Amino acid sequence: MAETILKTEHIAKAFGAHQVLADVGFQIGSDEIIGLLGPNGSGKSTLLNLISGFGGADAGDVTFLGSSIVGLAPHQIAQRGLVRTFQLPSMPHRMTVREVLRAGSRERAGLLDAFRRDAGEDNAEELLEQFALKSVAHQPASSLSGGQKKLLSIAVALRTHPKLLCLDEPTAGVHPLLRGHMVDLLKAINRRGVALLVVEHDMHFIHELCQRCIVLDRGSIIAGCAPCELAQNERVVEAYLGKSLERQKVLA
Amino acid sequence: MFEFFVHVAVMACLYGLLALSLNLQVGFAGLVNFGQIILFGCGTYAASIAFSHQLGPLAGIALGVVFALCVAAAFARLGRNLGADYWGIATLAVAEVLRILANNETWLTGGAQGVGGIPLVFAGISRPVGPLLTLGLCLALLLAAWWLCSRLTASRYGLSLKLMREEPLLAASLGYDLSRLKIQTLMVAAVIAAAAGFVFAHYTTFVGPDQLVSSETFLIWAMVIIGGAGTHLGAIAGAFLLQFVLAFVPFVKDALGLPSEYVAIMRMTLIGGGLLAFLMWRTQGLIPERLGETRRG
Amino acid sequence: MIQFVVDVLIRAVDLALIAVGLSSVYSLIRFPNVALVQYATTGALLALGLQLAGLPLIAAGIVACALVGLMAVVLNIAIFERLLCAGSAIAMIGSLALSMVFSAVLLAVAGSRAQRFEVEIAPPLRLLGARLTELQLISIGISALAIAVLALILFRTDLGRCMRATATNPVLARATGIDTRKVTNTVVFLSGVMAALGGIGLAVKGEMSAQLGPDILLPVFAAAILGGLGNPLGACAGAVVIALAETLVTNVNFGPLFGQPVLFIPAAYATAASFLLLVLVLLVKPHGLFVSEVKRV
Repeated sequence: MAETILKTEHIAKAFGAHQVLADVGFQIGSDEIIGLLGPNGSGKSTLLNLISGFGGADAGDVTFLGSSIVGLAPHQIAQRGLVRTFQLPSMPHRMTVREVLRAGSRERAGLLDAFRRDAGEDNAEELLEQFALKSVAHQPASSLSGGQKKLLSIAVALRTHPKLLCLDEPTAGVHPLLRGHMVDLLKAINRRGVALLVVEHDMHFIHELCQRCIVLDRGSIIAGCAPCELAQNERVVEAYLGKSLERQKVLA
Repeated sequence: MFEFFVHVAVMACLYGLLALSLNLQVGFAGLVNFGQIILFGCGTYAASIAFSHQLGPLAGIALGVVFALCVAAAFARLGRNLGADYWGIATLAVAEVLRILANNETWLTGGAQGVGGIPLVFAGISRPVGPLLTLGLCLALLLAAWWLCSRLTASRYGLSLKLMREEPLLAASLGYDLSRLKIQTLMVAAVIAAAAGFVFAHYTTFVGPDQLVSSETFLIWAMVIIGGAGTHLGAIAGAFLLQFVLAFVPFVKDALGLPSEYVAIMRMTLIGGGLLAFLMWRTQGLIPERLGETRRG
Repeated sequence: MIQFVVDVLIRAVDLALIAVGLSSVYSLIRFPNVALVQYATTGALLALGLQLAGLPLIAAGIVACALVGLMAVVLNIAIFERLLCAGSAIAMIGSLALSMVFSAVLLAVAGSRAQRFEVEIAPPLRLLGARLTELQLISIGISALAIAVLALILFRTDLGRCMRATATNPVLARATGIDTRKVTNTVVFLSGVMAALGGIGLAVKGEMSAQLGPDILLPVFAAAILGGLGNPLGACAGAVVIALAETLVTNVNFGPLFGQPVLFIPAAYATAASFLLLVLVLLVKPHGLFVSEVKRV
């Protein structure tokens, strides 16, 4: 593992009396692809929100590139290179796909840049090609299918040149044929020096993509291992399928 | 009759500036500002204060810009963590507080009577030419503001405003500082509106608090919505259309032999009814916003 | 001191009625209906007309309230249901436009002169040292009763439960078999009744004019926002705070604070005080003082 890019320590969060996260700590290396797993309601999305600044933690520290990002606003965290996508990306209906993609980059997007002649470099067209969005580039972004919105939200996040990209269920709603393509795409992104943290339910996708997995259950980390070791991990199996005793009852 | 047309055209240009300014906020950045008229008031009162304290017109312009930037900053500070409906009411409240101040602080603003006798632009030039020159000045200002606004909204900056308007969470997650975008937009819009106010003061030669009642804000809203929010041409078209239609209200009243309060009644019906009709049946306005209009690169 | 409390109370009850109406509708259809203050004026005007037609004041009031309630429902179905499809900001601007049309109609019907209800002028009563007319006492009683009845409806009846269910999650409420449209329109009816009652209360104690609606717009909104829009009982508390601020500003001698014997703030600033209070509260607590909802991420 190369140097650590993100480190969380003792993260805790409660909504009212319900403890959603308790003492969560993990690290991500700057060249890694990490899967974040766990049953529904285990706190994955909350954890992602806390890391990216969309909600404050009750306790704990998040260090990104060597400095604490606790208490920073979402845009400040994004400016430092930690960018996230949303589980249900909602897209503008009065902007085309191409416009949304172009809006992703903040380069030359200042007030005074409007009066400059040269507009700077632009990789929007390449991204449209890579993410199979070229044919819909002129359509309103809100008219895309759920899967296409997912692709667009990843593409637009890439426009910010992130160092760590957090993806919330990137394959949900994406056509199965595109998933293989997506694995290659994400691996290529990773090779260009972007660390990835992927919240995902599709185990096959995780196996293909991730080097390491973190498994959350009821707000705590219960495992951190390679994807192939998950099936042997008693606690992980328990979390997904219930206690072994109950499971025997089910099987019997 | 010719001079009357010139007068209406001058007013249409000035309200065109106000509509461009509001359209930049509402149509592009999604900022529901119900205090727009006070930004105009920054300009009128800057002219009035500069005149009554003998500071000269250049100081008046500087004062107007400072007032406008201050009010814009106050609006933006309020907008940092308010939802659109709360912010709309808050801007309305700020505008009313400032109008009440202008109405009562007689030593500074002339109070309820206002200040008259502000020197006319092109005062030394004889009748048909002077007003025409004023119209030329106002047209030039309108075209300059139009150019400025289109340049802004056609750039990547404009894209970021649209992204903020439609999906603020997405914009924040991509690193856009929404408070910064809001304050910048408000400041540009405020300076345009204040410029209109400054010229207005030197055209009508009178500045008073009754020019700043909130129904004037709703008139500008009607211009933007009827013309087409999100297009500069729409805002200008709305301003000209409404100014020319409203200019004929007194003649219609005379023709029908109605009492004088019917001017106000007919104006309000036209503005309110027109606004409502467009909201219900043609929300996009006369000149709708087109998708994907922004310049490449 | 007692006199002060009575003054605050007199002002608070009428504001509270309209603010409560505003807030209960907001909890269901998520947009602040600006036209509600015009419903209040309409109620007062109708009651006045019915009284002139020969009905006793109480009967005229009841009929006027019912008519305004019906009008609110009709307008909600004809206009706001449609506008809300385009978003809450559009609906809010639409309610502003409607409010202007109302202004025009009210001005045409009522004329620009203020009118008064025919009520017997009785010498003021003495209550614990405070002066209070019989009329004021009855008005406070009726308003308090109306608010209490609404509170009972909200918290003790099936309609109240359905309403709160709809407010929290309309989709889920519809799925469990609640006719959300019917619930909404019932609440809209109640809000119209409350507004009309508030309007009549204001007009009986003061004057009835077409300007009544615009005059109370910001105080009512300030009360509803201070209470947290969508929280009807918070709106009552908000109304008390606003009435307190208005009365304090005009009745308190600030002289000792500045080392002068007598220093009163001009009465014109009474309204400004409540708007300023609103703006300050929004700066510190963006969702009002008494928020019942849990803020979501």
